[in-house]
Amino acid sequence: MLGQQIISGLATGSLYALTAIAVVVVFRNTRTINVAQGDFSMIAAFIAVLLLKSGANYYVTIAATVLFTVALGILVERLVMRPIADSDWLTLFTATLGVYYIMHGVAGWIWGRDTKAFPVTFDPTPIHFFGVIVSEGHLINMAWAASIGVVLFLFFRFTKQGIAMRAVTDDPETATLMGIPVRFIVLLTWGMAGFLGAFAGILIAPILYVSPQMMDEVLIKGYVAAVFGGLYSIPGAIIGALMIGVAENLAGGYLGSHYKTATAFVMIVALLALRPKGLLGIQNRREI
Amino acid sequence: MGSHLRCENIVVRFGGVVACSDVSLDVEEGRVVGLIGPNGAGKTTLFNVLSRFQDHDQGHVFLRGKPIDRRKPHEMIGLGMARTFQNINLFHDQSTLDNILIGAHRLTGDPISNFYSFPSARRRERALVKRAGEIAELLRLSDELDNAVKNLPYGVQKRVEIARALAGNPQIILLDEPVAGCNDDETLELRDVVRKVNSELGITILLVEHDMSMVMNVCDYIYVVNFGANLAQGTPQDIRVNREVIKAYLGEEAQA
Amino acid sequence: MALKNPKARASAVVHDRAAVAALKSRFAVQNFYLVVFFFALLLLTPLVPGFKGWMAGQASLVIVYIIAAQGVSILSGYTGLVSVGHGGFLAIGAYAAALLTKYFAVDLVLAVVTGAVAAGFVGMLMGLIFLRLAGPFMAIGTLGFAFFVGTVVNNVPIFEGREGISLPANRIFGVVIGDIGFYYASVVFLALVTLFIFSLVRSSVGRALKALRDSEKAAQSCGVNRLSYRTLAFTVSATITGAAGALNGLVVHYVSAEVYSDIWYSVDILVAAVVGGSAMLMGPIVGGAFVALLPFFLETFADFSFILKGVVLIAVLMFAPAGICDVVARPIRAYRRRRLERAGAAPGESAATPRRPFGLADQQGDA
Repeated sequence: MLGQQIISGLATGSLYALTAIAVVVVFRNTRTINVAQGDFSMIAAFIAVLLLKSGANYYVTIAATVLFTVALGILVERLVMRPIADSDWLTLFTATLGVYYIMHGVAGWIWGRDTKAFPVTFDPTPIHFFGVIVSEGHLINMAWAASIGVVLFLFFRFTKQGIAMRAVTDDPETATLMGIPVRFIVLLTWGMAGFLGAFAGILIAPILYVSPQMMDEVLIKGYVAAVFGGLYSIPGAIIGALMIGVAENLAGGYLGSHYKTATAFVMIVALLALRPKGLLGIQNRREI
Repeated sequence: MGSHLRCENIVVRFGGVVACSDVSLDVEEGRVVGLIGPNGAGKTTLFNVLSRFQDHDQGHVFLRGKPIDRRKPHEMIGLGMARTFQNINLFHDQSTLDNILIGAHRLTGDPISNFYSFPSARRRERALVKRAGEIAELLRLSDELDNAVKNLPYGVQKRVEIARALAGNPQIILLDEPVAGCNDDETLELRDVVRKVNSELGITILLVEHDMSMVMNVCDYIYVVNFGANLAQGTPQDIRVNREVIKAYLGEEAQA
Repeated sequence: MALKNPKARASAVVHDRAAVAALKSRFAVQNFYLVVFFFALLLLTPLVPGFKGWMAGQASLVIVYIIAAQGVSILSGYTGLVSVGHGGFLAIGAYAAALLTKYFAVDLVLAVVTGAVAAGFVGMLMGLIFLRLAGPFMAIGTLGFAFFVGTVVNNVPIFEGREGISLPANRIFGVVIGDIGFYYASVVFLALVTLFIFSLVRSSVGRALKALRDSEKAAQSCGVNRLSYRTLAFTVSATITGAAGALNGLVVHYVSAEVYSDIWYSVDILVAAVVGGSAMLMGPIVGGAFVALLPFFLETFADFSFILKGVVLIAVLMFAPAGICDVVARPIRAYRRRRLERAGAAPGESAATPRRPFGLADQQGDA
């Protein structure tokens, strides 16, 4: 039973991780706390439902949705973020809040505010895995999340754009001097946010059902996970997300489902009180 | 005259880089002491350690003989130490008068009486404004009191920084590159100001500076640092002819 | 002496300090009358023909929003900090007042004051945890706080969760007051809070806070204890928002977790402060009114109110970052600046109104 809950927690946690990674990447590269990240997923989920209902194949749907959401991310960057790119972080954060409101309103207007089921469900037959019962859905989620994680790792390590992105993170001015097109990197960053958001949305939709407010709680948990990594470290964010997934599942099982979401917050307040810079956070600067 | 500000064997590391490796200096009361060295020598780091804006890894700092290693930056003015900033850290949108008044913050008393404008607080405020006027007059800023500092010429802004530092009634002022970016006229003006502050108000001064004319003309004693360590010390005459110092500044092609 | 700055030529004009002082006090008096006029309008509103009783209740709710926005503005406008969790203080204020009213039948004034004090106390404690954090971390931490409070009121039995607590009629000094009476009471509270903020900003405390906001290092070198003053600002901010929360519960005679565990309240108040202008006295009034009235005007189009809120927010950030009030006040300020320049002063754009929505100076990065 315990193993069951842990596996299930890891599965949900790996979905939170997708949001958390997106949040970290955007913050690292642009100093922006993107509160619209969840809504990228939400819109992706709606688009996916639309496509699936009109008979498209599951994999085609994924591809089309991802493309759409990436375009959406780039659109947000162009229209909203670029004009205010030199502002302080609070302005940037509040601008994404505006985007959040707009996306919520648009989704509610087009699709209505009640929840809908996602048309693809996974085979509920339990699979036995090292003595623990896992469902197909869990495995698929974890598999997708893991593959995306690997893709990202390869991207940042070995591709020109990935390395350039890391340079921009560390020192944007020097990066510009070295000929790295920072604006393009920012564009790429928001595109990546859309990319990750799309997957998060499509994979979470069967669990959470689709509605404009579906990602609100996930977004918050994604941020809490990101803070575990000091808003800077992707591995930290992933670990944080997995921990949240497991912790809230255990809390839900032993304390009651009311306490599930509160768990994330107790964790974050405790963490911030004890280690203000996150678990694997930014290196401590010595200035007082 | 005793030691006013002293540090012993200061070591500061940033990750793998050693900014200060065993630096010591001693500023005598009532003197104007200069801290010079080539770029990257660790002067600014040391300066920040002395004013407590930077933690040090090893060594000790003493103000009037008492250790201040654990003190926070905002406590320093209460102990009689003021500092200025290299890149003019004034409150840009506020007036000269307001900037000087904030410098006198520690003399304003508790928040409650201030907030409710008790007569005692109002009296104090009037006294502070009067004092600000006196300081402004000393530094020839009387005409600029109502002007926002961002509208002032660069050299004048530098003087406002010093005025603000004076407002807290310090016994020692640390000046961070006071004439950086100033033209010749402004530099002369500030040289005059520094001498006046030291001779008329009896305030000890430690200044970090690149401009040699300023340093040689104003300082009673000079410390030279290079590569984060002490290189030489002495009066301006001594330093002027010191081979090591000349070599440090001009590189290997130094000649007598 | 070579003048580098063309604007500095103003000091070449004869600097008449007395004239400058006279002008400044005249402007201050003008501002004062403007505010008095506004409050007079508020007080006279119920006398307008066609004013129904229920409108008084709605108007009170708008005032509540405004007071909450004023609470946030102390942090975001005058101290340069951001809290996305002030809904937590609303909740604390509301529930403290509600419990006192239900079980001890206290006076309205006492209930509100207690709610405010309770929120302020918790604010002080929270400040100790959150104020050490850099900007983004503090924002997330405060959000966590709001969420935590929401969970507590949802699950701890005394607060009756979603069932809610119904409250008896409100009394002031023993006299039962209806909706219109409550409206006047809330106008009085608004006036008190506005006066308080006005005095705070002009006091040496306000000076220290603004110094911290404009340049933290310089302020510290002047002796301003960053943590102490920030905690003070946080506590005051929480207290004001707590008072708003108390009024909020008492005006509808009902508190329930459905309202107070909704974290979007916190965000709404922040939006109100930003849109109106956090560093101006009238800013939260404009912003609070905007956010509070939006759902009314677009009642059938709830989604449009969302979209409109987002669009206005982004537009304000792009074109009027210091808030709507700032834009409206610009021509007045320009005129006044010209008058002052003719008397020989070269004033800034008024020390109280920086260009950015949260009053941050040119330094970017962490708060």
